[in-house]
Amino acid sequence: MDGVSPLRLPFPSPLPSPLLIFPRYPRMASLPVLLPCLLLLLAASPALSTNPEGEALHAWRARLTDPTNVLQSWDPTLVNPCTWFHVTCDSQNRVIRLDLGNSNVSGSIGPELGGLEHLQYLELYRNNFQGKIPAELGNLRSLISMDLYGNQLQGEIPKSFAKLKSLRFLRLNNNRLSGSIPRELVFLSNLKVLDLSNNDLCGTIPIDGPFANFPLQSFDNNSRLNGPELQGLVPYDIGC
Amino acid sequence: MASWSPGLPDTCGWNGVTCSDDRNHVVALNLSGYGLSGSVSSKFAGLAFLETLDLSSNSLTGPIPPEIGHLKRLKTLNLQQNRLTGRTPDELGGCSALQVLSMADNMLQGEIPSSFGRLAALQVLNLANNQFSGSIPTALCGLSSLSYLNLLGNALNGAIPPQLGNLSHLQMLSLFHNGLTGSIPAEIGKLQRLQLLFLYENQMTGIIPHELTNCSSLEELDFFGNSFSGPIPETIGKLKNLVVLQLRQNDLSGPVPPSLGDCNKLQALALADNRLSGSLPPTFRFLAELTLITHLAIINLSHNRFTGSISPLLGSNALVKLDLTNNAFSGVIPPALGESTNLARLRLGHNLLQGGIPSKLSRLRWLDFLDMSSNNLTDEIPSDLSNCTRLTHLLLGKNRVTGTIPSWLGNLHSLGELDLSWNELSGKIPAEIGNCSGMLKLSLQDNHLSGMIPPELGGLTSLNVLNLQRNNLTGTIPSAVLIHCKKLYELRLSENSLTGSIPSEIGQLIELQVILDLSRNHLSGDIPSSLGNLIKLERLNLSFNHLDGQIPASLEQLTSLHRLNLSNNLLYGRIPAGLSSFPVSSFTATKLCGAPLTACITRSSTSDMSRLSNAAVAGIIVAIVSISAVVCVVLLCIIIRLWSKWREVSVSNSDGEECKEKHERRGGGGGDRFESYWKIGSTCMVTSSEKQSSTSETSILQRKMAAGGLDDSGS
Repeated sequence: MDGVSPLRLPFPSPLPSPLLIFPRYPRMASLPVLLPCLLLLLAASPALSTNPEGEALHAWRARLTDPTNVLQSWDPTLVNPCTWFHVTCDSQNRVIRLDLGNSNVSGSIGPELGGLEHLQYLELYRNNFQGKIPAELGNLRSLISMDLYGNQLQGEIPKSFAKLKSLRFLRLNNNRLSGSIPRELVFLSNLKVLDLSNNDLCGTIPIDGPFANFPLQSFDNNSRLNGPELQGLVPYDIGC
Repeated sequence: MASWSPGLPDTCGWNGVTCSDDRNHVVALNLSGYGLSGSVSSKFAGLAFLETLDLSSNSLTGPIPPEIGHLKRLKTLNLQQNRLTGRTPDELGGCSALQVLSMADNMLQGEIPSSFGRLAALQVLNLANNQFSGSIPTALCGLSSLSYLNLLGNALNGAIPPQLGNLSHLQMLSLFHNGLTGSIPAEIGKLQRLQLLFLYENQMTGIIPHELTNCSSLEELDFFGNSFSGPIPETIGKLKNLVVLQLRQNDLSGPVPPSLGDCNKLQALALADNRLSGSLPPTFRFLAELTLITHLAIINLSHNRFTGSISPLLGSNALVKLDLTNNAFSGVIPPALGESTNLARLRLGHNLLQGGIPSKLSRLRWLDFLDMSSNNLTDEIPSDLSNCTRLTHLLLGKNRVTGTIPSWLGNLHSLGELDLSWNELSGKIPAEIGNCSGMLKLSLQDNHLSGMIPPELGGLTSLNVLNLQRNNLTGTIPSAVLIHCKKLYELRLSENSLTGSIPSEIGQLIELQVILDLSRNHLSGDIPSSLGNLIKLERLNLSFNHLDGQIPASLEQLTSLHRLNLSNNLLYGRIPAGLSSFPVSSFTATKLCGAPLTACITRSSTSDMSRLSNAAVAGIIVAIVSISAVVCVVLLCIIIRLWSKWREVSVSNSDGEECKEKHERRGGGGGDRFESYWKIGSTCMVTSSEKQSSTSETSILQRKMAAGGLDDSGS
C-alpha cells in the first residue's frame, strides 16, 4: 500500500510560467512543531489516488529512460490517463491499449502493468527494455495482443501466462529469453500467432493445443531448443 | 550499532541512546532505520524512564508486546514502517503520558483498542495503512488533546461516531481508503480547528450536513468517491479559508450554491461526476462573488447536468484547467475566456455550445489541450489560433465547422492529436500538415475534403492512426506516405474517390495492426503481393473497388487476419487455400472461385476426355457393331459362294470334264465365258454365266434337251 507520504509531482510542468497548481503538500507552517517523525505522519493530499491505472502507469514511467520524451504527456495530476498519448481508453475510461512500439524507451517492464485489467493491446516492441518479463503480466485477463519483440528481455517466459485466456497474438521474438517454453501455454486456446524466434530458449517445443498449428519458424534461432516434444517417451524437462 | 557492547561501561554513549541529565536513565531510544529485524522485545519495558521509543523504518516482525504498556513516562512511540502483525494489545492504553503514537505502515489487524481512549495526553494518533477492522471506537472521541487522527488505508467500517465532535483540538482528520458507511454527523460542525478533512474513497451516504460549514478553519475538503447525495450545503461560503473543494464522483444534485463565491481563497473546485444541475446565471450573486475568486486555478464540473452559459465561470485569470465536458451548457463560447491567459487545459466537449470558435482564444499562449468536440460550433477555424503554438491536442470533431483546413496547423510543432472529423470542412488537405512530425493521430474523416492526399503527409513519421474516410479525395494513394509513416497501426482511406492501383509500398507498413481499409474507392489493378508482409494486420477491407487480377498467394501469410473483405471487385481466379476459412461474404460479387465459393470450372484435359469418352464410347460401339455386321454379311456371301462352288465341283467333276470336251467338240463356248457343265443322267448341260437367271439356265437346258443332241454313249 502507498506510504503516508504526500504525493508529489516528480516531473516539472512543461509550462515555465508561475502557475497556481493547487497545493498538494501539507502546509508545514500551520502545524505545531513536533518531532521530525511527524513529517511521515501527515496524510496524502486530496484525491489523486483515484485512478489506480494512471498511478500504475505513472509509477512505471518513473523507472523508464525516455530520451525522445514520448511520455511527456503522462501527467499524473490528471484524473485518468485517457488523455495521455500512447494510451487508449474505452468509453468508461479504462485503459485498453498501450502503444509504445519503436519509441526508444529503456528500462524494465513494470509489474504495475499487470494491474491494467482491461488492457487488450500491450505494444512495447522494438525498444530497449531489459530485465525479466514480470509474472504479473499474467493478470492481464483481457489481453488480446502482447508484442514485446525486439528488446533485450531476459529470464524465462512466465508460467503465469497460462492465465491469459483471451490472448491471440504473443510475439516475444528477438530478445534474450532463456529457459524452456512453459507447457502451460498449451491451454491458451485462443492463441493464433506465437513467435519465440531469435531467443535463447531450450528444451522441447510443446505439441498440444494451439502448438499444433504454429509453423516451425516461430521457434527459429533458439540454438538450444530441441524440437518438438516426444510425449510419453521422455520425462518433462525441468530446467535445461 | 557497533557501539552497542555490553562490556562498555557507558551505555549513554551508544548510538541511538539518549540518557537523562544525571546519566542514570535512558530517556530516548532512536533506532529508526537501523535495519533491525526480529520482534519488538518486551525487555524495552524495563526502561522505566523511557520517553521516546522510535523503532520506525526497520524490518521488525511479530506482535507488539503488551509490556510496552508499562512505560508510564513514554511520550512518543513510533513503530511505523515495519512488518508488525497481530492485534494491538489493550495494554498500550496504559502509556498514560503518550502524546504521539504511530504504528502506520505495518500489517496490524483486529480492532482499534478502546483502551486508547485512556491516552488522555495523546495529540497524534497515526494508524494508517494497516488492516484494522471494526468501527472507529467512540472511546477515541474523549481524547480532547487529539490534533491529528489518521486512520486511512485500513478496513474500518461502520459510521463516524457523532462524538467525534468532542475532539475540539482536531486539526486533521484522515479517514480515506476505508469502508466507512453512514453519513457525516452534524456534530462535526463543532470542530473549529479542523483544517483538513479527507473522507475520500469510502462508502458514505447521506446529505452533507450544513453544520460542516461551521468549521471555519477548513482548508481542504475531499469527499471524492463516496455516495453523498442531496445538495452542496447552501452556506458553503462560510468556509472562507477553503482552498480545495473536491466533491467529485458522488451523487450530489441541485445547483452550485451562489455563496461559493465567498470562498475567495479557493484554488481547486472539483465537482465532476455528480448530478448537479441548474445554470450559473449572471444575475445571481454567484457571478459577482465569483469574480472575487481570483485564485481559482482548477474548475472541474464535468459529467453533470449544468445548463446555461459558461460566462459566470470566467473571471479568474489564475485559471489553468477548465473542464466542463458532458453537460448541457449552451450559448456561445465567451471570448472572455481568452483573458485567462494561464489556461493550459480547456475542455468544453459534449455540450450544446454554438457560434464560432472565438479568435480571442489566440491569447492562450500556454494552451496545451483544447477540446471543443461534440457541440454545435459553426464558422471557420479562426486563423488567430495559430498563436497557440504549444497545442498538443486539438479536438474539434463533431461540430459544423466550415471552411478549409488551415495550413498554419503545420506550425503547431507539438501537435500530437488533430481531430477535425465530422465537420463540414472542404477544400484540400494542406501539405503543411506534414510538418507536424510529432503527430500521432490524424482524424479528418466525414468532411467534404477534396483534392489529392498530399504526399507531404509522409513527414508525419510518428503517425499511428490516419483516418481520411468518407471525403471526396481523389488521385492515387501516395507511396511517400506508405514509405515514411512506418509507425502506422491503423489506416482508413475508405469511401473516397481514390484511383490508380494500390502501391506495392503498402507492404512496408509492417506495424499495421488494427485495420487497413481502402474500400469503396475506384482503385484498380492487382492486389500487390507485398500485402503479405503485413503479418500483424487483423482486418483488411478492399471491397467495392475495381481491383482485378488474382488474389496473390502471399495473403496466406497474414496469420493475424481475422476479418477480410475483397467483395465487389473484378478479381478472378482461385481463392488461395489459406483464405478458404473466411466466410462467403468476404468474396461475393467477384469472379473468384474455390472454397468458400463454388469450385472452379476449368478447361483441363481430363474433363474433356471424360466427356469424349461418354459420347465416343457410344459412337465407337455403334461403329464397331455396324462394321462387324458388314464384315459378317460379306463373309457369309463368300462362304455361300465357296460352298456352292465346292458342291458343283464335287458332284460333277468328271462329267463336267466330259461334257466340256463334248461341248468344245461341238465348238461351243469360249474360254472366256464362265461356263459350268452339268450332267444330268447322260445329258450334258451347259450353263452360261452370262445368263444368270435360272430361267435362262433352264431354257438353255431345255433347248439342249430339245436339240436331242445328247449322246447316251459314254464316248
